[in-house]
Amino acid sequence: MRILLILAPILAFLVVMLAVGFAIQKRSESNRAVNFSKDYFIGNRSLGGFVLAMTLVATYSSGSSFVGGPGVAWLRGFGWVYLAMTQVLAAFLVMGVMGKKMAVISRKIDAVTVIDLIRVRYESNTLAHIGAVFIVVFFCGTIVAQFISGANLFAAAAGVNYTFGLFLFALVVVTFTATGGFRAVAVTDTICALAMLLGLGVLTYAILEHGGGISRIMAVINTQPQMLEPTSGGAISVRLLISFWMLSGVCTLGLPQSLVRNMSYKNSKSLHRAMIYGTVIVGAMMLGMHLIGVLSRGVIHELPAGGTTDAIMPHLIVNYLSPVLAGIAIIAPLAASISTVSSLLIASSSSIIKDVYQHVVERHGGRADQKKLGLFSIATTAAIGIVCIIVALNPPTVIVWVNMFAFGGLQTAFFWTFLLGFFWKKANTTGALLSMTGGVLAYCYCMAAKIPLGGFHAIVAGIGIGFVLFVVGSLTGKPNDEKILKLFFPETYPDGTKIELPSRA
Amino acid sequence: MSKMSYKEKFIQMNKEAKSTWIVTAILIAYWWIAGFGTAGMDYTILQMPGWFVLSSFGVWILSIVLVWGLTVKVFKDFSLEDDEDETTRE
Repeated sequence: MRILLILAPILAFLVVMLAVGFAIQKRSESNRAVNFSKDYFIGNRSLGGFVLAMTLVATYSSGSSFVGGPGVAWLRGFGWVYLAMTQVLAAFLVMGVMGKKMAVISRKIDAVTVIDLIRVRYESNTLAHIGAVFIVVFFCGTIVAQFISGANLFAAAAGVNYTFGLFLFALVVVTFTATGGFRAVAVTDTICALAMLLGLGVLTYAILEHGGGISRIMAVINTQPQMLEPTSGGAISVRLLISFWMLSGVCTLGLPQSLVRNMSYKNSKSLHRAMIYGTVIVGAMMLGMHLIGVLSRGVIHELPAGGTTDAIMPHLIVNYLSPVLAGIAIIAPLAASISTVSSLLIASSSSIIKDVYQHVVERHGGRADQKKLGLFSIATTAAIGIVCIIVALNPPTVIVWVNMFAFGGLQTAFFWTFLLGFFWKKANTTGALLSMTGGVLAYCYCMAAKIPLGGFHAIVAGIGIGFVLFVVGSLTGKPNDEKILKLFFPETYPDGTKIELPSRA
Repeated sequence: MSKMSYKEKFIQMNKEAKSTWIVTAILIAYWWIAGFGTAGMDYTILQMPGWFVLSSFGVWILSIVLVWGLTVKVFKDFSLEDDEDETTRE
C-alpha cells in the first residue's frame, strides 16, 4: 500500500511528461515538414522568457543539486551553502554576455547547434568535429550517471527494484525527447523546474515540522561550531572557494547545453525576462536545497548506518514524510535528472545528425530529404538513449571518470572558444584548436593523475592553459577570412561595409 | 523597440556584455566581503549566523536587483532578425 501511495504521484508526473512529448510532436508536424532540424533541435526559435529561464535552470540543476550537495551541507554546515551560492551567476551570465550575439548571428547563417556557429566562426571542419565528439562523449557519460543516480534514488526512496526504477523513468525521458524534440525538452524542463520548487517546499515543511521549528534546529546545530563557519572549521579552503567561483560560477558560460538555449528564444524581451526569472529561480533552488541540507541536521543527527552523505536526502524523504508527500518529494530530484538528461540527449543527437551526418550529405552536394532526416533524427535520439540505459544497467568504471570529467571538460573546451570567438577579433582557428584540445587534455590529466595544484581544482589548470594556448595560437596563426570577421565584428568596420553571408551552416 | 543597423546592434551588444561582467564582479566582491568580512562578528539573523544570511541570501537578492537593473537601464529591445540598413541584405 505504502509503495502504491508513493508511486502514484511519480507515475502521474511521468505520464504528464509523455503526454507533453506526444502533443508537441503532433503540433510540430507542419514546421517539421519545412525545416526539420530547426524545429526538432531548436524549437523553431520560439521560446518565451519564462520557458527559456526554466529550461536553462532545470538543465543546469542535476540530481546532485538535490541529493549530493544537500548531503554535504548536512555534514559541513552553512559554509557549504555559502559555497553553493557561487552558482548565482549560472543563469544571467551566459545569457547576458553571449545571448544576443549568438541569437543574431544564428539567424543570419541559419545555425541550429553550437557546433554550427563554431564551424562558421573558425572556418574549420576539424574543430567542429572535435567539438562534436567532446559533446557526445561528455554528454553521454553524464546521461548514464544521471540514469544511475536517478534509479538509485528511486529504488532507495520508493522501495522499488533498481532495474525497474531505471527502465521506468529512463524510458519516459528517452521517449518524450525522441518524439517531441527540443520544444518538448523545454516544456518538460519547465514542468520539472516547478516540480523541483514544489519538492523544495515539501521538504522545508517536513524539516521545520519534525525538527520542532528553527530555534530547536539551530540549538542542535550550535553544538557543532564548525557548521557555523564559512570554512567549516578549515574543511573548505579559500582556494576551493576560488575554484568553485570558476567551476560553478564564471565558467558555466562555456557549457554547450546552456549556450544552445541562446539560439532558441524568440526576441530581445524573452532574453531580458529570462535573465531575471532565471536568476530568481537558480538562487532559490541552490540556496533552498543546500539550506535544507544544513537544517536537516536538526532531524537527522547521525549518518544512516553504512551510508554516505548521499543517503541523507533519501533517508529524510523515506522516514519523515507521509507516503504521498514522499512521492512528491522524490519527484524533485528525479525531475532534476530528467530535465538534465533530456537536454543532453537532444544535443547529443543534434551533434551526430546536424553536425556530422547532415553536414557530410550537404557537402557532397545533396540536400537531406526532410522526411528521411526526421525519421533518422528520431531514431538516433532514441538509440543514444537506449544505449545509455543499457550501459546504466551494468555501468563500467570508465563512466564514473567520464562523468567526473564532463562538467569541467565541457567548460574547458567551449569557454574560450565562444567567449573569445565572439569578442576578440584576433581569435582564430589555430588558437581555438590548440585551446580546445590542449585545455581539455590538461584538465583531464590533472583530474586523472590527481595533480596537486596547491589546493586548486583542475578547472583552474584547464581554463588557464586553455587561455594561454588560445592567445599564443591566435597571435601566431593566420587570421580568419575578412568575410567572417565582418559578420562577427561589424563594429570594427566603417559604416555601410557590406556584410557577405558565408555559405549556410 | 529600437531600430538599429547591424553594426549598431554589435556596439550595443558589446555594451550589454560589458555591463553583465561588471555585475558579475560586483556580486563576487559582495559575496567575499559579506561572508568572510563579517564572519568574525558574533550576530545572528533569523537565528542563523549573520555572515551567512548577509552573504548567501544577500548575494541572491542583490543579483536579482542588479540583473533587473541591467535589463531596464542597459539592455535594449531590438530585432534579432531585421537590420535597419542595407549592409546585410542579399
